[in-house]
Amino acid sequence: MEERTRAYLRGRFGDYYRRAEITPPPDANEREWGYIPWTSGPGTTMVRHKSLLDLGDIEGFLERERPRHVYFSAGRYDDPSAGSMSEKHWRTSDLVFDLDADHLPSVTLGEDSYAEMLAKCKDALLRLLDFLEDDFGFEEMTIAFSGGRGYHVHVRDPGIQELEREARREVVDYVRGMGMEFDAVIDEEAVGGEVGRKSPAHNEYLPTDGGWGRRIHERLLAEFEQIKSLDEDAAVERLQEYDGVGEKKARAAWNIAQDRFVEIERGNLSAHPVVKNFAERIAASVVEEDDAPIDEPVTTDTNRLIRLPGTLHGGSGLAVRRIDRDAVDDFDPLVDAVPDTFVGHEIAVEVTDGGLIELLGDSFTLSEGEHTVPEHVGVFLMARGRAEKGPE
Amino acid sequence: MKALHARYPFLSAAREAVETAGVDLSELVASDSAAVERGLERVEWAVTEGTVGEPHRRTRVELLSYPVARVLVSLVDEHILLRRYARAEAVTAYDRFSEELTATAEFQSTRTERLDRQDLLAEFDLSGHVHAVAGEDGEYRVDVGTYLEHTAGQWGDEWRLVNRPLADGQVPVDEDELLLLVRQAVRRRVEDGLPLSVPDAIATELDDETERVRDVLADLDLTRDIDTVVPDLFPPCMRHLLDKVQKGEHLEHHSRFAIAAFLTSIGMSTDEIVELFQVNPGFGEEATRYQVDHIRGETSPTEYSAPACATMQSYGDCVNKDDICEDVINESHPLNYYEHRLEEADEEELVDWRDGEEDEEDDDAG
Ligand code: SF4
Repeated sequence: MEERTRAYLRGRFGDYYRRAEITPPPDANEREWGYIPWTSGPGTTMVRHKSLLDLGDIEGFLERERPRHVYFSAGRYDDPSAGSMSEKHWRTSDLVFDLDADHLPSVTLGEDSYAEMLAKCKDALLRLLDFLEDDFGFEEMTIAFSGGRGYHVHVRDPGIQELEREARREVVDYVRGMGMEFDAVIDEEAVGGEVGRKSPAHNEYLPTDGGWGRRIHERLLAEFEQIKSLDEDAAVERLQEYDGVGEKKARAAWNIAQDRFVEIERGNLSAHPVVKNFAERIAASVVEEDDAPIDEPVTTDTNRLIRLPGTLHGGSGLAVRRIDRDAVDDFDPLVDAVPDTFVGHEIAVEVTDGGLIELLGDSFTLSEGEHTVPEHVGVFLMARGRAEKGPE
Repeated sequence: MKALHARYPFLSAAREAVETAGVDLSELVASDSAAVERGLERVEWAVTEGTVGEPHRRTRVELLSYPVARVLVSLVDEHILLRRYARAEAVTAYDRFSEELTATAEFQSTRTERLDRQDLLAEFDLSGHVHAVAGEDGEYRVDVGTYLEHTAGQWGDEWRLVNRPLADGQVPVDEDELLLLVRQAVRRRVEDGLPLSVPDAIATELDDETERVRDVLADLDLTRDIDTVVPDLFPPCMRHLLDKVQKGEHLEHHSRFAIAAFLTSIGMSTDEIVELFQVNPGFGEEATRYQVDHIRGETSPTEYSAPACATMQSYGDCVNKDDICEDVINESHPLNYYEHRLEEADEEELVDWRDGEEDEEDDDAG
């Protein structure tokens, strides 16, 4: 990036910050702050180990410094500006989740457009929220578009604040379905007999009301509803398409769907071997379909620095946007995260790496060379290193 | 002094009782040989048997032996002793309270004051986080934060959150599981504040006992080889790489090299590495075997040169470094990190990944 481009962006970031209202996170003065300035040279150095005291008030600081990237810590400390983690004395940390298109198995890098990657990322975000809301019952959550290729969720419920790394790993593994073992998920219940008596017979149940068990059960139920709705021959034919399902198994499954559907509703895997067989089959694929492939190190690291909502991402010129829960469905990062400050002007740029750009509902295909483009497009290209500032 | 306090000397009430009785520790170690003897026994048993042994018949001696034992453990100040001791106190307490709580009314002794479940939960600030399920005896729901605080990394697959029917922020547990959770809370309580800083006068008085504990420790073979495979203790960079492999993500060559060389350095064979990688269905076993073999071929046969931190960093493979990286190993070598974690860990609780998925649950879990 050339000096004039850097100077331009820094200046316009300053204009943005003059108007922006930034809501700092709770307990801002107990957190570590960091930023990356618009320096030249390839090595980007983060200025970190700052406390709010060092920076002064956030809005004033941003207006003066106009940084390229701005971060704050998930952790709270006795002494946030101390130079090493052990001297800071950790107190608590928010639980932070990071979904990044780069890490999504569904994304094909180099093939998917930016818009497509972001759309896939939002699907993953919705799955993540399903875990966080329904399973974990979290209530204090901030959802943000990262300004780059994904989304962040900051959880601030009191019950998780003191968890250490190992416990956070369990949370990660939960939403990613890592280590989910069918045998460990199912429950055993003694059949008849009094509790405490020797009762050799056990029934196996799939939990229907929570966890991955519930997710497997929902699919099992759907499968058997399908089977139930078919006539016997059609069902038998369809079922035999599965590996390892012969006619006998298929008929057994159909019979259960007709006569003992309530057992399926209860999650009773002992109703017939074929039921357990189907449940195991579903368990093998459910993780792939339902998991939220978050970036593990972000969540387990209690000292992580994370982008401040409301600031600009220096690698895209888009805003790190806080998103209300009800607005998530309709949120379109390529419209809603374009800063107003950059809308309504035109600028000249020299495109060095052309191609497709989709912003504010328009798409542009630019070739290399000089162009006059809407400023938000120019800022995006320059921030991404795909253009330099053109002559005035 | 109450018998209850002697049975559960870590209770805050027990501590208060010791304080109100105006017991002076330096006087105690100088004059009460019974308490000192029993204190030493607590520690010795903790190391060799995993419990703190049978209580002394005198309540006072039994109660006062607890602070003595804590002082002894602090004087020896070995990580492994500390862990074993806390564990033994917790196991002993657990044996006692689970017996008390499950005894049916007719067998309950009426002579002594008993600990009921509510008191026990309240003692560890668990009351607000453990909810009895209405109409179902012995069924509870534990708030997920509390559940994780006490169970994370402790026992086998059944305890892992991913295998639990978590709903609305609560994890269902049964009576037995709840008591194990409390055992874990006791253990933390005992560990809390250890090692204490001990005044010289007391230390001198306990010279012989300290020596004795050191001997007992020395008799155990506690040295661990680096060739133990405990993925949970891997440095963050390697955990990250392993994780990616297991998820079937593509790794660049330098990353693949780093993880394969690291695993080789800790004594894993190609077969074992392939097996460890193979968590993900759809993973190409043959391709991996070939790659791993190839990587091993690139290094000299005697010394599998796993990359140092500096190399890891220049390739961007140093991910998520933590306090140990910064403060203990000074970002030197991932193997140093691993060695440190192995040393820190309690031998009994380490399960070599190669020893299979056998039940990790403690044998004393009852
Ligand atoms: S500092 Fe060394 S051991 Fe720690 S994560 Fe980085 S490379 Fe790994």
